[in-house]
Amino acid sequence: MYWTGLSPDEAREALVNKDKSMKDKRMTLKEAVSQFIKDGDNVGVGGFVNIRQPIAITHEMVRHGFKDLTLSWQSAGMAPDYLAGAMMLNPDHFSIKRIELAYWAHEAFGLSPMFRFLAERGMLEIEDWSNYNMSARFKAGSMGLPFIPTRGPLGGDIPSSCRTKIIDCPFTGRPIALLPASNPDVAIIHVQVADQYGNCIIRGTDATCAEIAMASAHTIVTCEQLVSHELITQTPKDVGIPFVAVDAVVEVPFGAYPGACRRHYYFNGDHISAFHAGATEMCKGGAPDTLKTYYDEYIYNTKTFEDFIAKFPVKKLIADQKAESFNCERLA
Amino acid sequence: MTASKDYTAQEIIVVAGAKVLEDNKIVFVGTGLPMVASLLAKQTHAPGLIPVFEAGAVGPPLNVGLPISVGDSKTFTGASFVGGLNAAFELTQRGFADFGFISGAEVDKYGNLNSTMIGDFPAGYQTPKVRLPGSGGASDMAASCERTILIVPHDKRKFTEKLQYVTSPGHLDGSPGARFDAGLQGKGPYRLISTKGIFDFEEESKRMRLIHYFPGETIESVQAATGFELLVAPDASEFAPPTEEEVRMIREDIDPNGAFVKRAKKKVNKNINLTAQQM
Repeated sequence: MYWTGLSPDEAREALVNKDKSMKDKRMTLKEAVSQFIKDGDNVGVGGFVNIRQPIAITHEMVRHGFKDLTLSWQSAGMAPDYLAGAMMLNPDHFSIKRIELAYWAHEAFGLSPMFRFLAERGMLEIEDWSNYNMSARFKAGSMGLPFIPTRGPLGGDIPSSCRTKIIDCPFTGRPIALLPASNPDVAIIHVQVADQYGNCIIRGTDATCAEIAMASAHTIVTCEQLVSHELITQTPKDVGIPFVAVDAVVEVPFGAYPGACRRHYYFNGDHISAFHAGATEMCKGGAPDTLKTYYDEYIYNTKTFEDFIAKFPVKKLIADQKAESFNCERLA
Repeated sequence: MTASKDYTAQEIIVVAGAKVLEDNKIVFVGTGLPMVASLLAKQTHAPGLIPVFEAGAVGPPLNVGLPISVGDSKTFTGASFVGGLNAAFELTQRGFADFGFISGAEVDKYGNLNSTMIGDFPAGYQTPKVRLPGSGGASDMAASCERTILIVPHDKRKFTEKLQYVTSPGHLDGSPGARFDAGLQGKGPYRLISTKGIFDFEEESKRMRLIHYFPGETIESVQAATGFELLVAPDASEFAPPTEEEVRMIREDIDPNGAFVKRAKKKVNKNINLTAQQM
């Protein structure tokens, strides 16, 4: 048995030694990424497929450059795509060593050409799980337990491609799967609302963001809206991630774009496809030019995520906001 | 109820899928065509159908349009209960889901599904020939929903004697009690809908059995496109084509942007987009 990220005992120790005071955690994305992510870390990725993924954080990670990361998530799309695309262009600047996942694709927006490129060339260590498996692994991590029993991986080949152990249940005698906890070094999460201490409100799917934040040694949060502590504590039961689990808070409107964020904006599918075009060419043996042009224009030659958002026509941004306001109509 | 003369392979799958769903039951809906079929069922014979989505929405009315993701904002509006993935899967593991509705890239005669990789497993696991998205929630649904409905595009290579990777367990090796002995819950695959027909799994052998073939197909043509020997129900019959109204509803009301039901002109659309992978 081996642990990726922190072992349960190391994860415990990380919290013992952490400053848990209720302090102002606001900083820039650049500061957050350079302070809390290191080469070789296991990074827990929040959101679900292209919903509320920490896109702004991944852009900053790409600009910074990291080596030998392990990435852990249940289902993801654009966040790992941005990291993987950077690796396809220049593995000396950015590299992913390993992924622990249930799903990497885009549902209605197709497969991930980045995943196909790296996996089919043997450039990643892959550990397949299911959505419930990964969610339960983060949950075990957040509960301070070394493992959690689930039914999920029984019966198929998933147990032969991951660290699951199947035992006879000591109470029923029937087979049950034990999944090792996941305690990432750092969690990257985008939420709708946060205060300066890191109390977070999540709308729509909770995904497994609270579990990932609680399981990780450090958590970077970006939010659509930064509000006062007084306002957020008026509805304390809405707080999904407590400040104790959070280390950095950055207000980044459109921080999950071109993915979707409930109450704020719906998917920009055209941009997802445009981003994929260059990687698809490389999958077919083509040159990296198109992908490189994309990264130069949208990531390397922009200093902040605001510069990235500024590249979209205002009309398009308003249309994506309007589409979401149709999804969840409410008074302004 | 005029029969449509102009429907696609995906559209008949959607209609067949909707008809398999029962009113007032809970269905755990995977991404892609299962979402379209569930919406059609809800708008026709099963208004009391209760959809559950793995990102955490329970019982949404789905009255703001077709979700294009199982975590879509559209699945949360009007939902009775919302949580995250753990909440949805715990509810399923507990036994609240009557049906799981999933799709896959490859299936064997016992209804086991592959949505992980094409290649040589285990030796070539880290260097797949084609890397597919992975399980998503499909293997969890297969392990814990009471009955599962599967969608797989029909193709001789995709209906195969031996899967390259078993992502979502069906009836395993078909032996009596195989699922129970493996620690699984639920009765396993109940129906499979392909581009050529509808199948059940014979009670004793758990083998895939043709019960309806779609218009334009015969028992022989379905067998010829299948990589293993099919059982055929004694009363196997032709499935009625979708009605014009059903096709209109799919095209105009349910999936007007063609998110999952592509606007193919030809009746036979062999390559159901791999994007319709289960989640």
